[in-house]
Amino acid sequence: MITGRVYDIQPFSVHDGPGVRTTIFLKGCPLRCPWCHSPESQAFYKQLSWFSMRCLGTKVCNDKCLKACEKGAIEYGQTRVDGTALDLNPGADPAEYTLQLVHVKRDLCDNCGDCAKVCRAKALELTGTDYTVDELVRMMKKDKQFFDRTGGGVTVSGGEALSQPEFTLALLKALKDRGYHTALDTTGFAPWAVVESVLPYVDIFLLDLKHMDSATHEAVVKVPNGPILENARKIAAAGGKFQIRVPIIPGFNASEKNMRETAEFCVELGESVEVVQLLPYHNLGVAKYARIGDDKVLQAEPPTDEFMEHMKEICESYGLKTIIH
Amino acid sequence: MYQFSPITDRVVGYRAKIRDRELTFDLSRAKIVTESYKRLGNTIPIIKKALTQLDYANQCDLYIGDEELIVGSKGSHMFSSAQYPEWGEFSHKSYWICDLVDAGVWSMEEDGYWHNPKTSPALQRIHPDDVKWIKEVGIPFWQDKACGDAVAAWQPDYYEELTRLRCTSYVPKDTPGYIAPLSLPLGHLVAGYKKIISVGYKAIRDEAQAWLDAHYDRLMGEDVRKYTFYKAAVITCDAAMVFVKRYADAVQEKYEVCTDEARKAELKVMAENLYQLVEGPAKTFWQALQGIMMYQLFYTAETSNPSAALGRVDQYIYPFYEKEIAAGTLTKEFAQELIDMFFLKANCSYGIAPDVVADTTGVGNTWQHTTCGGVDPDTGEDATNDCTYMILETVGRLELHDPTISLRFNKNSPQKLWECAIATSKLVGGLPLYQNDEQIIPGLIRELGFSLHDARDYGVIGCQEIVGCGTDYPAPNGCPPHGSAFWSIIFDMAINNGINPLNGEQSTVQNGYLYEMENIEEVKDAFKAQATHVMNMFASTHNYAEMIGEHTTPQPALSISMEGCMEKGADVAWGGAKYNSYGCTATGLSSCADSITAIKYMCFDKKLCTTRELYDATMANWEGYEDLRQQVINECPHFGNGDSYADMEMKWVTDLYYEICSTMYSTRAKVYKAGLYGASDHVRQGRITWGTPNGRKMPDPIADGSSPVQSCDHCGPTAVLYSSQIYEQGKFMDGVALNIRMHPSVVSNDEGVGKLIDVTRSYFENGGMEVQYNIVDTATLRRAQEHPEDYKDLVVRIAGYSAYFVDMGKDLQEDIIARTENQLS
Repeated sequence: MITGRVYDIQPFSVHDGPGVRTTIFLKGCPLRCPWCHSPESQAFYKQLSWFSMRCLGTKVCNDKCLKACEKGAIEYGQTRVDGTALDLNPGADPAEYTLQLVHVKRDLCDNCGDCAKVCRAKALELTGTDYTVDELVRMMKKDKQFFDRTGGGVTVSGGEALSQPEFTLALLKALKDRGYHTALDTTGFAPWAVVESVLPYVDIFLLDLKHMDSATHEAVVKVPNGPILENARKIAAAGGKFQIRVPIIPGFNASEKNMRETAEFCVELGESVEVVQLLPYHNLGVAKYARIGDDKVLQAEPPTDEFMEHMKEICESYGLKTIIH
Repeated sequence: MYQFSPITDRVVGYRAKIRDRELTFDLSRAKIVTESYKRLGNTIPIIKKALTQLDYANQCDLYIGDEELIVGSKGSHMFSSAQYPEWGEFSHKSYWICDLVDAGVWSMEEDGYWHNPKTSPALQRIHPDDVKWIKEVGIPFWQDKACGDAVAAWQPDYYEELTRLRCTSYVPKDTPGYIAPLSLPLGHLVAGYKKIISVGYKAIRDEAQAWLDAHYDRLMGEDVRKYTFYKAAVITCDAAMVFVKRYADAVQEKYEVCTDEARKAELKVMAENLYQLVEGPAKTFWQALQGIMMYQLFYTAETSNPSAALGRVDQYIYPFYEKEIAAGTLTKEFAQELIDMFFLKANCSYGIAPDVVADTTGVGNTWQHTTCGGVDPDTGEDATNDCTYMILETVGRLELHDPTISLRFNKNSPQKLWECAIATSKLVGGLPLYQNDEQIIPGLIRELGFSLHDARDYGVIGCQEIVGCGTDYPAPNGCPPHGSAFWSIIFDMAINNGINPLNGEQSTVQNGYLYEMENIEEVKDAFKAQATHVMNMFASTHNYAEMIGEHTTPQPALSISMEGCMEKGADVAWGGAKYNSYGCTATGLSSCADSITAIKYMCFDKKLCTTRELYDATMANWEGYEDLRQQVINECPHFGNGDSYADMEMKWVTDLYYEICSTMYSTRAKVYKAGLYGASDHVRQGRITWGTPNGRKMPDPIADGSSPVQSCDHCGPTAVLYSSQIYEQGKFMDGVALNIRMHPSVVSNDEGVGKLIDVTRSYFENGGMEVQYNIVDTATLRRAQEHPEDYKDLVVRIAGYSAYFVDMGKDLQEDIIARTENQLS
């Protein structure tokens, strides 16, 4: 049976698409956006994540993870003082509550997950779970009443969901068959045939437009924007609906020029664009990079509220309904 | 988004005084009562009570603040804390304040009072003369004379076992936390405010006197008992009239000497209001509010800390408002100011309490739960009115943690009311409580035998309990506040052959050890047997206290307003009210449910460990079993995630609790109500509940109210709501408290607000009965811990009430932070 690789399921999404939604995040993406707040979404393979705050120290589990790793990729790392325990035992020697944590040697780790299997505290966790369509659809059931009451539904997101084309098609079809409202959160970077196949089963596309200049687009996120814009035009021509999402990234696309060009493109898409959502860059994802041993993160100051309002005004001046989140 | 109206300078100033309040220990009532009891000696209790109340009305100190529009106080200060020695305050060999003064913990300051340490959450002071009086007069006189002492003096045989086990709020005498079964609140109810402001004291007095006149020389059978009641009612009405008249005279005196013209005009009306209220009904909006406040202060002077909920204030006052707005004699702005000043006045009635109480409750609570919204009792139509919004505005704009506000919703509630409610929740943590008429009204009819009219007229009291307004005496007669059986301890006993692992005490029900049990049914049978035994002993204690209370603790000042009492000639303590029930709550049953799930999953279904291992780990309070504990916490399903594997066990536990309660009754009440809430008891219980199989260690709190175990709900608020629909909430007529903590970003715009409203509606349409939202992020709570001075007004909800976050003990703060914060992706 066909399975899809999922790295997260997020219920109660209230700012991404209509109503209350549950978002299913599929793993793997052809783009490499430096501001990506979910670096674990990029690789297609399962990845070992390391949550240092969850680790209770190797004393508690008797070095289980070190013993489980045949590659020798886990070693003693930093230490951490257990502040809660110290609070409860005032006057105690902090050394008594100092936990020996571990460190993952990424060059030796092959993401086999043997260490995660024995880590009861889930400090070591393999990111990426394979689900069948039925399993996921069953999980959505508990939120059906809230979807129906709020006009919400299920959002299939990524990574890039269209990079798992057969599974995404089967999932969207199954959801539609059972009466769920569906959204596809996509970079738009996929062969038209793939996009076309899912078209009948997507109520709204949440489409990212990152930069209108293809050279800049390719230089930064590693793919050109041509196929994305082309897909967008075709979806519009086929009667698809859009919520256009524009991340506002300082030093990349946070300019009046790009905002105007993006807005002009949205105007070209016509009535299919229901709303334009401007997403200010935030750095909440920075900590996630360390978890998977990645250091390629963009460090920038989030745009100011005034700047975001300015961008919004530009966008609105084209007659586009615009929201900031 | 809902827009709140401006606040007047007067209200701003008065509110600041309340936030920075210092309570004054006020002995004036205690001294009056002591003299009355000395004089009245063996007079029968109901007459003794009434005559004492008359003495109080004649002699009590009065307080009228310069800025007040609604007057009344429990003593000579704005924040007087009156004392109730006949309820047991001075029955012990020592008194806690005197002990702290003697120990040098309280210090003498320039004002001539002893003050508690400045680091205490609630500032309190006592005059040295009062310390002297307590030691020399109070304690010697009141030994063995308080109402609870009759219960404590002799007990049924099982009582020794019950207290020794330490698995309920009854503990052996002389242990810390001891409360005599009859020493604390009787009335947890909504008194008949509507009757008082509709007919006035004179009419009630006349009704009672007419009965007395008709039975002047002939008291046969039950009439002799009725005679004592109606006589007490006459004396009590006289007392009420004296009380109101003295306030009227005092305001009149202020009016006569006042030189400020604007204030003089106010005082003139205030005096007129009070003179009208001495005998008659309220005729204006202002009089209605003043009349409610006067009766509140009057009847609560009779009973110690009675959790005197105000009921449907918006419904009481709206007819006056409507009439006056139409006539042009009242402006909306002034009506709002009056409502503000009314609830601020209500916020002055705090009781003085040891720091340990403040630790678990914040600076306390006046327990004047107020109910708004809902339906018209006659027509069933939505009854939301201007005053509903005004009361929410008071709570929201003034960031009041007290009184608790319950907001009743039904399928016809206007969208604007929902929006106002969410806007209020954003400002004041946990308020209002969202109550669902569609579950509660049928529940009252089915479970308690209410008429449709009275069910539609329900109010909410205390933390969460559902009652009739002015019709229902739902008091746990004789039961301490938050009195409850500690279900997680009972669970530990059930897997430990009836022995409480905390203290080794043995129950008479010896149901074997977990490692002897071969399937989950045997575990459940053991739990059922143990819980039934403990609950039987527990409710029997209420029943015993009820029986004694009928004679020793009548409450004529309350009874004169309650439907049923005047008609039958019977005090509320005798079952005179139209409806009678009692009950107690079980907080944190999801901890028990998760424990069952853990045993089922780990030992029987997945066989990840043996029952012996899980037993040993639990009995070791998980010391040395951290790896197994992490497996239980991270791998077992938990209630609150929309997973029926775990949710079904919550249904089983709540069903068990309900079934046990449904077998209980007292001399007065046929119904013992079940409830799933419990103030901050889950923290206190956690401190004395040994490790539990769901991976919880002592002293960590157990779950609160009906909520999932802290940090064990991973699938967002909708999953919590979905899971909570698994059990029939309408059976729990003592109330349900579901706490959900929400990140402010969820409701940062109209769209988010609309979605949260629809989610709540969906919950209510599918069986949900109550929910309360704390809209605050973890970062704010952490900052508040570090800089309490900058977050003095931050209000959060605990389980049964809201409190200032910075005033709570550290463990309670951590408990709130541990609640899963529901954020958007």
